[in-house]
Amino acid sequence: MRLYSIFVYLFLYIPIGVIAIFSFNAGRHASQLQGFSTQWYGKALNNPFVMDALQTSLTVAFFSALFASLFGTMAAVALQGIKGPLRTVFDGLIYIAVMIPGIVIGIATLIGLVTLFDLINPAIAAVWPEGVTAPKLSMGMGSLIAAHTMFTMALVVIIVRARLAGMDRSLTEASSDLYATPMATFRQVTLPLILPGVLAGFLLSFTFSFDDFIIAFFVAGSETTLPIYVFSSIRRGVTPEINAIGTLVLAASLIMLVTAQILLRRGEKRKT
Amino acid sequence: MQRDDKPITKKQFMEELYRYKKGSVSRRHFLGVTGLGMATAVMGAAVPGLRPRPAFAAGDIGDRVVLATWPNYHDPANFEAFTEATGAYVQVNVFGSNEEMLAKLQAGATGWDVFVPTNYTITTYVGEDLIEPLDTSLIPNYDPKAYDSRFSDAGSVDGKLYAVPKDWGTTGFVVNTKHTNGVKVDSWKQFFDMTKNEFSGRTMVHDYQLTTIGNALKYFGYSFNSVDEKELADAEKLLIECKPHLFAISSDYQPSIRNGDAWMSMAWTGDGKQLNNDMPEIAYVLGKEGGEIWSDYYAVPKGAPHRAAGYALINFLLDPQVNAKEVLAHGYPSADAHTNALLPEELLNDPILYPAQELLNALEFGAAVTLTDPNRAELMARFKSA
Amino acid sequence: MTQRTRNLLLLAPAGTWFLVMLIVPLTVVLVFSFGERGASGGYVPAFTLEQYANLPARWAAFKNTLILAPVGTLAALVIAYPLAYYLAVLASPKWKTMLLVLVIVPFWTSILIRSYAWIFLLGGRGIPALLAMIGIEDVRLINTPFAVLVGIVYGYLPLMVFPIFVSLDRLDKRLLEASSDLGATRIRTFLQVTLPLSLPGIATGSLLVFILLMGEYLIPALLGGGKVFFVGNALVDLFLQSRNWAFGSAVAATLVIIMLISVTLYMRLISKLGAQREDVSLM
Repeated sequence: MRLYSIFVYLFLYIPIGVIAIFSFNAGRHASQLQGFSTQWYGKALNNPFVMDALQTSLTVAFFSALFASLFGTMAAVALQGIKGPLRTVFDGLIYIAVMIPGIVIGIATLIGLVTLFDLINPAIAAVWPEGVTAPKLSMGMGSLIAAHTMFTMALVVIIVRARLAGMDRSLTEASSDLYATPMATFRQVTLPLILPGVLAGFLLSFTFSFDDFIIAFFVAGSETTLPIYVFSSIRRGVTPEINAIGTLVLAASLIMLVTAQILLRRGEKRKT
Repeated sequence: MQRDDKPITKKQFMEELYRYKKGSVSRRHFLGVTGLGMATAVMGAAVPGLRPRPAFAAGDIGDRVVLATWPNYHDPANFEAFTEATGAYVQVNVFGSNEEMLAKLQAGATGWDVFVPTNYTITTYVGEDLIEPLDTSLIPNYDPKAYDSRFSDAGSVDGKLYAVPKDWGTTGFVVNTKHTNGVKVDSWKQFFDMTKNEFSGRTMVHDYQLTTIGNALKYFGYSFNSVDEKELADAEKLLIECKPHLFAISSDYQPSIRNGDAWMSMAWTGDGKQLNNDMPEIAYVLGKEGGEIWSDYYAVPKGAPHRAAGYALINFLLDPQVNAKEVLAHGYPSADAHTNALLPEELLNDPILYPAQELLNALEFGAAVTLTDPNRAELMARFKSA
Repeated sequence: MTQRTRNLLLLAPAGTWFLVMLIVPLTVVLVFSFGERGASGGYVPAFTLEQYANLPARWAAFKNTLILAPVGTLAALVIAYPLAYYLAVLASPKWKTMLLVLVIVPFWTSILIRSYAWIFLLGGRGIPALLAMIGIEDVRLINTPFAVLVGIVYGYLPLMVFPIFVSLDRLDKRLLEASSDLGATRIRTFLQVTLPLSLPGIATGSLLVFILLMGEYLIPALLGGGKVFFVGNALVDLFLQSRNWAFGSAVAATLVIIMLISVTLYMRLISKLGAQREDVSLM
């Protein structure tokens, strides 16, 4: 069993190793090793397109994770106290949102928003004062954040709800018996209990958005996210620059993980 | 090779001066080629009042411009120079096919300021009202007389100029001559026959209906642009017969050819040139039955958000000095005489960039109908999913 | 403010979001699927069933997806289960978290880049070159359904390991001891105690992987060399190559319907299997 596990880890890490090794390739082509060099790291870090794409990806991931965890948590809390048709509708929507493949979300958002914009833009232009160019809604970072938020919000609702379901009801009841306002109950009882769920939801949303290619491919308008940049580079003539980017992203996530782990451990120690 | 850091000979100087007087080259070009620009720049640096001004005062055209283009198709240093000169930063979006560009434009608001359509698509863009007639006063570097009309005609529709030429090229195939046992490969017939036999599992075709279907049509001697049902049916039969023998259906063929997994692939001029440079055993072949010759253009989509910057970018890239650097980087021939005057002799005589006349004669420009013909699109889908 | 108003206010942002970003787009897809393709692409309003009648033209794509998605899910399950079991039951507690994290870490490099590594590994200079060294010549791996399968399993393994680990980790080890004390063989213990208890994890992991595979585009595109064609690839081509929005919408709608039916049936089946156990579902 142990041996088997070692094999699986090898399976998981050999490709990662290959990526890392080739990122130090001196040659131009990602498939021929031609000596050691760190030049591709310098190139990647100095490439304005890469930096631009990275910035776009981080912005989109941050805002969609923020909106998703905020509105998702709000919805999850509200759904606790709602029954009847509204609840059924919401459950259905969440079910559909997580079940629809990303590619369909991408396509549907594209044609849905384009159709919507075609209706709205003339209306805006009509009411806009003459002589001033009316703003035009178009696909771009906004639509991308909106699409990612839609999907990840559904995930947050599920996660937070699972947390709420595991919560001891008597706690909130006790709180209101003690004449705490609903707000105070939420802040002092519910929120601390669901916070790990909210954080997990935020991280999951961030990761999903940061790594998403297929929705962004359709919805991003003229914006280039990191996966879109990588995809168009892979399409023709990959240089080890791509490997360098991948290795850097991996290293950054590892550092974040280790830091988070250390912080968590400290927090736990303080508690006990 | 004429580079701006090399001193110019007397004869070349006189030639350039003559062209400048004639008005066929711009002042900037003249100063650049002759080295006078360099001299002015050095002096300018020494005497602050003489420091050359950017062609556009920074801020005039905004801080960015969005360009939709093909992979490996520009010299990044030129974009840096543009940013330096104008303050506008160039954001590049890379695409895989003309269909994809059209699809994005049809879906509305792409945010592009400049894009690079191929000759046969321009009438469709005009018909769909997706691109604007160019304001030539904003592109003084465009000198229509300097262009080979074969490669600039498609830019005008109904007498109006919608697009200016970038460069041109051919669609042939690359073959690794290590595996051909000395047999001369020079036709699409051989391309497909070898695929089914000795090159089984080693051939790639483009993931692009125009060239893959077009070249299969050439196997039978039909027109590259045919939309005739019977002829398309023949091409489909051939493609589906070949499918199990293909290494891949992909327009990303350089890596597989380089690492030896694939031995033969449909290819464009520049890729052929780049591969041949690095691996002399890779030959670039034009089928003797014919095939595609094409020309790419710069165009401005309707409603471009940074229109002024878009025009400035086109004008900048058409500057022969800049364009020559572009050609050296991407390996596709330019149709601009001014640019060619700056290129090294051996590049201008390169048989990959400039194939023999009898080979060129057999080639066809893509036709607009192929872009919109639903049968060709469906044929491609059937071939890919077969 | 009554509690109900408060709840409605809390629900409003999410509700609006779902309305604009989910209901409107899906409705547009449904409407477009009854329309026609414009002369140069796009969509022209109409009411016709032509697009649905034309679905057999993408039969191969549906067939490939409907075969490779379950096969890929099963393969991921078979590979993931022993690892999850090892991590949850056998591994020393000291290393457990570390080992689990190591399963997830590869997930943080873009799937694009990881697939690119497989292009190299399965290509002529990778594994086939190693095989040639030991005398197995001319093995072709890249651009085959097998390569796609490897990519799928590799790409989604963590999604399968994690839920199974969680369900096995909660399992009371004393149950296993009790079972073997009662003289049950290891296989019997596994089949009658461990496996049923890990069913929720299996169900969740398989569902996650299956959903992702049904819409997969990248892995077949990168590792299948354009020859292994999924519904996802058909959709991308329909929208970005042939610009047939009407037919594309019909294909998308059909995919959604297939998903709805198969996922709902699957959940029914699972909840029947685990009727007396804790509820198994995504929600």
